[in-house]
Amino acid sequence: MHGIRTEPSEQSTTLVNKVPNLGTAMLFAINMSGSNNRPQPNRRGRNIMGPQSALTDFLASHNISANQIRHEHEERLRAAREAAAAQNGETNTSNGTTPAAPADEDNGMLPDSHATEDMPISTTRRRAPRKGEITEQELKRKKNQANIDKIKASKKRKTGKKADSDSDFLDELLTRSAPLPGQMENCEICDKRFTVTPYSRAGPNGGLVCNPCGKELDKDNPLSKKKGRKPTGGASGKRRNIQSKILDGTYRIGAPSMMTMCVKVLVKNIELADDLGDIPPTAIDKIARNLSKNRMVDSRTLDLFLQPRAHDVYVYDGAKLSSHDIIRIFQRVPQLKNLKIRNAIQFKDEVMEYLLSRDIELESLYLSGSNLLSTRMWNRFVVEKGATLKSLRVYFTDKHFDDTTLALLGTHCPQLKRLKMRHVQAVTGAGIKELANVKSLEHLGIQITHNRALPDVHPDVFVHVLDGIGGGLKTLSLTMVPTADNSVLGAIHQNCRALQKLRITDSEVMTDEGFVRLFSGWDNPPLRFLDLSKCRHVDSTHPRENPDSVGVGSNGFRALMKHSGQKLVHLNVHACRHITKQAFEEVFSADKVYPELTSVEVSFCEEVDDFVVGSIFRSCPAVQTVNVFGCMKVRDVRVPRGKILVGVPNAQGMQMEGAED
Amino acid sequence: MSAFNSSAPPSKYVTLVSSEGFEFVVLRQATYCSPTIKKMLDPNHQWAEAKAGRCVFPEISGVVLEKVVEYMQYWYAYREKEDVPDMHIPVDICLELLQAADFLGMDQ
Repeated sequence: MHGIRTEPSEQSTTLVNKVPNLGTAMLFAINMSGSNNRPQPNRRGRNIMGPQSALTDFLASHNISANQIRHEHEERLRAAREAAAAQNGETNTSNGTTPAAPADEDNGMLPDSHATEDMPISTTRRRAPRKGEITEQELKRKKNQANIDKIKASKKRKTGKKADSDSDFLDELLTRSAPLPGQMENCEICDKRFTVTPYSRAGPNGGLVCNPCGKELDKDNPLSKKKGRKPTGGASGKRRNIQSKILDGTYRIGAPSMMTMCVKVLVKNIELADDLGDIPPTAIDKIARNLSKNRMVDSRTLDLFLQPRAHDVYVYDGAKLSSHDIIRIFQRVPQLKNLKIRNAIQFKDEVMEYLLSRDIELESLYLSGSNLLSTRMWNRFVVEKGATLKSLRVYFTDKHFDDTTLALLGTHCPQLKRLKMRHVQAVTGAGIKELANVKSLEHLGIQITHNRALPDVHPDVFVHVLDGIGGGLKTLSLTMVPTADNSVLGAIHQNCRALQKLRITDSEVMTDEGFVRLFSGWDNPPLRFLDLSKCRHVDSTHPRENPDSVGVGSNGFRALMKHSGQKLVHLNVHACRHITKQAFEEVFSADKVYPELTSVEVSFCEEVDDFVVGSIFRSCPAVQTVNVFGCMKVRDVRVPRGKILVGVPNAQGMQMEGAED
Repeated sequence: MSAFNSSAPPSKYVTLVSSEGFEFVVLRQATYCSPTIKKMLDPNHQWAEAKAGRCVFPEISGVVLEKVVEYMQYWYAYREKEDVPDMHIPVDICLELLQAADFLGMDQ
């Protein structure tokens, strides 16, 4: 109770403490924005308001002050009267030109008889009319004068200046002449008439400038631009950002490298760059990647990267490039060897036609999304330019690049080492079978299951290919091959002797026994990269029953770690849910060390628990990330310092590094 | 002036000199963000720079080197921190800075 009672009082005191600060801050801000040349005699009136007419309200909302207008009107009247009086030969010593009545600052009252007798000037002022006649108008004028004096004095007090300085008074006279918001004024620069607003900029000579000229001034002076603060989203937003970076794999501790920071700045201001000059190729590549990330590679920025003597052109996002732009690549870079264009939508027949007509001999070609390029031109390319081709990567072509193209590779591409196809919908098993003739192949990656109209590739096709070229393969990647069975594993075991990277995913028929047979007594050196994700039994009606032990199971996992564990860098057994806890514990037991394993993916392996994850950290000294999405038994793991554990379902999202050493 | 006596521990500070002769005295640890400078100052190699604790960069102008030195301090201050605030890099020297960063190997 006591605590509850004291809390509000504390709050209120802090509030009270804060209010004056706020007040001064606001005053300061007003003074700053008011920029000397705008009078604010009625500022006080704005804060404390009595009853007002609707018109006054309306005018106030448009920054027109009734008070101010009246005040100026009265001043004009008075000036006119004084001019008339001077003509009448009347000597009036106190006609308002003397500085605001000295020492009258505290006298807030109207000048009545008591007050006037104290002041010599006022007495003379009073005496002068006594010689003539005291009219009512004269009295009114005096009243006004006193009001003005009062306002001037209070203003001086606010600005903290001494009232007796002549220059201050001059300043005040000058500022009076500046127009108010809502009034018209001639622009200082272009002399056009414009309406003054509270945001009108002061010109270089003290006057006001119109909006277009103001913008011009801002352009010239980039420092005056106020940079908007990035929305951080508060504490939770920051945390979310960090988690997002962890998942992206871009999380890092400490400052970003200077090159990264420079590249960022450069990309933001790429429109200022005419030429990148002598920048090292790595930096140019970084800039290109950053630009692509923001979809900023277009006709203009492309030119920055086309250097006549370059061998490589990597366009990470060509979505904005026209056919002509892509042709320009070949024109500007005659010694081109390696070309990569992602989202090369406009890489059409005419572009290929141009490429074929030139003397360019490509060693590697990477095209994604070029679905307007016809099979006929693909085939011509393979026939005419295949002799030098070492690497061909084709992604997301629609109905072109088909079996006939693959059939040409064997005869026309004697040097082809790398072939990757993904989402190449026109290719069928018959085409893949032809790859057995491409004897030079070292890296083969296939993912073609996206066309549901075509039958799945029969496993015999893969066996045929492996029998033909398996011996030289260093990389074999069969992504989404639901029908690939043990015979494929057998063919790998039989033929492959140089494999470093193996990926077989989504197989629904390979069995544990098949994996055991593959990895036991295999004459292939240990693998560096192994991805067997989603090789598991799939049956929606009996998900728990797996009588034939389909998929990577305990024995297969033991066998593969025994074969490749010592050199393995990446291990992915995502969703291989038949691996038992016991197998994990055995593989990652205290006496086993996997020195090179840096990333482990065991997501959706349901048997993985805290102990298994702890064992992984113990057995893999070099491990950086362990993914455990969907491992519901992982709850509270002690994560060693600097290691990252991704996918722990707790309130903080994805846990990262622990403090334990 | 310079510590030629190899047995004495090296000074905590080193001097970086720009092409115009502007000298920047920087914390030795901070300069280690550049592998190039780290190698220059490695006491095991008997480079003149390591002996004198003074690196001259005839290719880098004063303005650029000043920014580089600022980055070094920034890097040092935040080397163990998460959520590092951005450092301002003026657009006009950005390209030169990029070249300097490449020269000094500061791309990690």
